[in-house]
Amino acid sequence: MTVDIRVDTGIADPTLVTGTADGGTGTKGFGAQSVLSRLSEWAWVGRAAGRAIVNFLIFVVAAFFLVQLIPGDPLVSSSGGRLSGEALGKAREVYGLNGSLASQFWSYLTSLFSFDLGESIATGRPVAEDMATRIPATLELIGTGLFFACLVALPMSYFVVTKPTNRFSKVLRSYASSAGAIPEYVVGILFLFVFFATLAWVPAPSGRLDPILMPPAEVTGFPILDAFIAGDAEAANSYISHLILPVAVMVVSHTAILVKSLILALDTEIDNPATRFRIASGAPRRIVIASVYRRALPSAVAMLGMIFGLLLGGAVVLESLFGLGGLGQYAVDAVRASDVFALRSFLVVIAGLCLIVYFLTEVATGLLDSRRRDSRNQEV
Amino acid sequence: MVMPTLKSTSETDVDRSAGRSAGAVAGLRRHAALIPFGILLLFAVIGPIVAPQPATEVVGTPSTAPSGDHWFGTDSNGFDVFSRTLTAFRLDILIAIAVTLLATVVGMAIGAIAGMYGSRGGLLGVIAGTLGRTIDLVQALPVMIGGLVIVSFFGRNEVVVSIALALVLMPFQGRLMRTEVLRTRNDGYVTAARMSGESEIRILFRHVIPNSCAPVLENASAIFGMAIIFCAGLGFLGVGIPLPTAEWGNMLADGAADAAVGRWWPALFPVLALAYSVWAASKVTTFISRRRRT
Repeated sequence: MTVDIRVDTGIADPTLVTGTADGGTGTKGFGAQSVLSRLSEWAWVGRAAGRAIVNFLIFVVAAFFLVQLIPGDPLVSSSGGRLSGEALGKAREVYGLNGSLASQFWSYLTSLFSFDLGESIATGRPVAEDMATRIPATLELIGTGLFFACLVALPMSYFVVTKPTNRFSKVLRSYASSAGAIPEYVVGILFLFVFFATLAWVPAPSGRLDPILMPPAEVTGFPILDAFIAGDAEAANSYISHLILPVAVMVVSHTAILVKSLILALDTEIDNPATRFRIASGAPRRIVIASVYRRALPSAVAMLGMIFGLLLGGAVVLESLFGLGGLGQYAVDAVRASDVFALRSFLVVIAGLCLIVYFLTEVATGLLDSRRRDSRNQEV
Repeated sequence: MVMPTLKSTSETDVDRSAGRSAGAVAGLRRHAALIPFGILLLFAVIGPIVAPQPATEVVGTPSTAPSGDHWFGTDSNGFDVFSRTLTAFRLDILIAIAVTLLATVVGMAIGAIAGMYGSRGGLLGVIAGTLGRTIDLVQALPVMIGGLVIVSFFGRNEVVVSIALALVLMPFQGRLMRTEVLRTRNDGYVTAARMSGESEIRILFRHVIPNSCAPVLENASAIFGMAIIFCAGLGFLGVGIPLPTAEWGNMLADGAADAAVGRWWPALFPVLALAYSVWAASKVTTFISRRRRT
């Protein structure tokens, strides 16, 4: 196991600053000292958060300059050449495209940090509002998919690792090694053909809700949860039945990589001296297995960030295939309308989501295994 | 790391001489894993030539099932699915090869510099650190989304698709290279070369890169498979190569709607071609990794 010792000079350590301030408080010195040491134990979380924030800022800047690189005028190309003359000038004013690069950049930054993502060129609706309704829908899809994929992957990995010579576990191993080679669109088309067109087990792949039903009042933004809160069983039923097939596709195409990373982690831990010690000291099988899983957990959790990214990319495909109307479908619609400003906001939002998830997995891994913390100031 | 490379080169020499003396059969058997990929390349060369009907013209009634006239049926536009599947081999494989080459070369360069000089001070260290950070940042974005945004910004043609996919797949190679370089840069022969006064550039090109590029080259065939999948994925989303050009992705985008109403043929055949290409590439991966480990 490698301990990642990264020197990040860009981020000031807040605990050190408070340390010099509290240092000279005489009799309270001992209490302050213990608070201080308690705080500095958590400095790695601050460092991880700082890194995530810096990375996000880089993305924000990169997104701006990426749009600047686009050849031609984005307003002309997105309106199909219909805007010209005075109307074009007015539109440029509205989208803040007049003025120097620096002033454009400044107006982009200020509006971004007041959570104003601008207006879509194609629909004229504020992008932030669209995003707010679509992010929970996409997260619901990804969360359900990830939950069920984990549910399937855990017993699979258990079976493969504990019965390595079994024929079925060899099949599972080769399934795991196909990770990343099973695209969602292929599984999706196959499932649509089998379960919708042939067997008619699921509703038509258009939208999340039957068109005759009214959506429940928005409380959390997560459609299924909202339906339950409103006590609308019919809507909840419809939401769930529309989500079954996309989630099934997600599970089939992404369980492989989960199983693969679990097997990888378990295989290194099962021959570990710690396992042998437990077996030698006569621990029951249950305890041995539990300890193997406990030790494999950090490296498996560390993979979750990457898997979230994969699922997010997959959600774009699934949403446009099943017409689920989430974040991904928004992006595809924006592409069709060549709405570069909506796409730029989409890029920033996706980067933010991914970085939040990476930060959370980093914290979770650090909590599970203190050796994986970013330990710049830790004295061993 | 020096020993295995030396051994494998001497082994290929032995292979070659044995192949000459013992006949082609033994050599063929040893390289059997490369045959699917060879066939794939053959398809890419002859695919558009042997296609019985023009791939971008309406040649029949839309949505007819496979028959004698149209072996794989026709799609909802009246295009011949068989001809389109065959024709698409060339474009998709060319894009995949371009992506693999670009991603591998750029990834190797960035990974080598970031690994070699990332922990140094001065201008070089700053550049190397920035490059290393770029790899991490690009990888933070999901491949599909990065590709989608770049392609939609800069135009839907094969050059942009190749560059966009190479950019988003480059971190995989770059990280691998960086890890390897971090391992080799402190090896004895590098120190020895430095002590004997060789220049930094010579050390990098003569000693570090040759001794750390093997895993990256092994991974190149995996990148090829990913390039095929993501290129078709972009086409499926409607942001890849546009119609009427024959490309598996845009065929699938059409086929998805057909599959939902029970017409299986417009989607099945591009999927089979796609699956075959990815499988052939994975065969090459196992071949190379077995080669490297024996």
